[in-house]
Amino acid sequence: MSGKLFLKNRLPVILLNLLGALALSLFLLAVGNDIQTVLFILTVWMLVLALYLAAGYASRKKRLEKLLEMAGQLKERYLLPEVMPVPDQAEEQVYYQLLKLAGKSMLERIGEVERERGEYRTYIEQWVHEVKTPITALKLLCENNRSPFSREVLAELENINRCAEQALYYARSEHTEKDYSIREMSLADVVHGAIADNKYLLRQCNMAITVGDLEPVVYADDKWVRFILNQIISNAVKYRAPQQPALHIFTERSGDQVLLSVADNGIGIPESDLPRVFEKGFTGQNGRTIHSSTGIGLYLCKRLCDKLGIGLAASSSGSGTTITLSFHINDFITGVQS
Amino acid sequence: MKEKILVIEDDPTIQAQLKNLLAGNGYEVEAVTDFTNPVEQFRAFAPHLVLLDIKLPGSSGFEICSQIRAFSDLPIIFVTSSNTDMDELNSIMLGGDAFITKPYNPAILLAKIASLLRKAGASSQAAEVLIWNGAELHLENSTIAYGGKAAELSKNEVKILYYLFKHAGKICSRSDIVDFLWDNQLYVDDNALSVNITRIREKLAGLGLTDFIKTKHRQGYTI
Repeated sequence: MSGKLFLKNRLPVILLNLLGALALSLFLLAVGNDIQTVLFILTVWMLVLALYLAAGYASRKKRLEKLLEMAGQLKERYLLPEVMPVPDQAEEQVYYQLLKLAGKSMLERIGEVERERGEYRTYIEQWVHEVKTPITALKLLCENNRSPFSREVLAELENINRCAEQALYYARSEHTEKDYSIREMSLADVVHGAIADNKYLLRQCNMAITVGDLEPVVYADDKWVRFILNQIISNAVKYRAPQQPALHIFTERSGDQVLLSVADNGIGIPESDLPRVFEKGFTGQNGRTIHSSTGIGLYLCKRLCDKLGIGLAASSSGSGTTITLSFHINDFITGVQS
Repeated sequence: MKEKILVIEDDPTIQAQLKNLLAGNGYEVEAVTDFTNPVEQFRAFAPHLVLLDIKLPGSSGFEICSQIRAFSDLPIIFVTSSNTDMDELNSIMLGGDAFITKPYNPAILLAKIASLLRKAGASSQAAEVLIWNGAELHLENSTIAYGGKAAELSKNEVKILYYLFKHAGKICSRSDIVDFLWDNQLYVDDNALSVNITRIREKLAGLGLTDFIKTKHRQGYTI
């Protein structure tokens, strides 16, 4: 609370007092008092006035600062009207009422928006599950009638399926509730599963795939990791080298971490773009030349990895990109098992 | 004896195509047509394995599963489009043997079915030796034998020969062979397939088998 403004607000009171003092001194002088008595009375008056103003200022400042501090400590600041003490001043009580009203209506609005979001999320999940039925039907139809034509359809189906999954995981990544379960999972199963999910796409572009030695188990959610690998593999297809594209998947151990790397020999990522590839909507230089870039895939991977506690890093050497997932091997878990 | 599989799935296209796929792989298949009482049909058909969707008209897959589990412990595979943890947990709690999410890879589905049937003991042990025109393909030690001599085969070569033996007499297109290799996690491209075929032919020639694998121009290979 600024002191200057406080005094300005009290200007009518001060003016009234000065006017009263002036009138009183004129009256006292007129009825024959000497100047010293009048000066003495005026000094006492002014002292009392100053004291009153100072005390009022101090007590108000103390109360308001306490309120500010309370608001600072509160995590949900919009709940302040619920916890602050009811003021005793008539005017302040009106403001308090207004604050409560505003807070209440905002809470209602937030509740409404949250409910709508929840409903939308449920709808997206339902939609994705619905769309999987025709995708499965088409896939079976094509697999049962294989031809060069059906292979092309199968490759497109893999794209459609990945897009549908992306919508599902996007909805899940926004949710605060936990939709995953961390358990022992086989990296080989997940890696080969992700390759199988993109089989026809990879075959279509003649991608040479080599899978190195894989660490047997890590602790994560296999479905989520498979989705993340799917996104990375589809990026490798999208940004592949025009001649002899290749993909190498392998694991290394570094301290208490297992590093799973997906390395391609594609067009790579310019060094200036590298730090931003996990940002939402960032497409960079490659995005300007390849129009199917959305800037969602890697952003989503990063978000899911953050939730699972997996590290995600990208490196590029001009020719080829390597995306590395780092899984922590929890000492506690291995300790209990051995 | 053919193993019998019951398909409980309400989408007509998937139902028909699953029947095609399974029948084409040597199973006797029936699909539930009346969803008011699938357990009745189950009893009448007496299958060795059940493919079960979760979302069904009438009672859900979970209910059907627990009804079946009340009197039978045959393998049940849940095949569903919902891949939430809850559904997976539920299916395991109710006694499902596997949980496969749509859209599934047919090769993976078939492999799962074969392994569950083998575990349940309904299936006769998979033949470990395949014979065609006097050539014997031994899967357990990856060799091919002919006229008392044998040659060692690499992983890729065994799978290629396995596919040709399984489709003996028919023309196998190059793409189909590569597809099969990919389904077995061997990521071989078209060139590598040619190299592998050449190597197999050399090994066969060493055994005295020439022209065992014939090339059909623009179509593929056949034995």
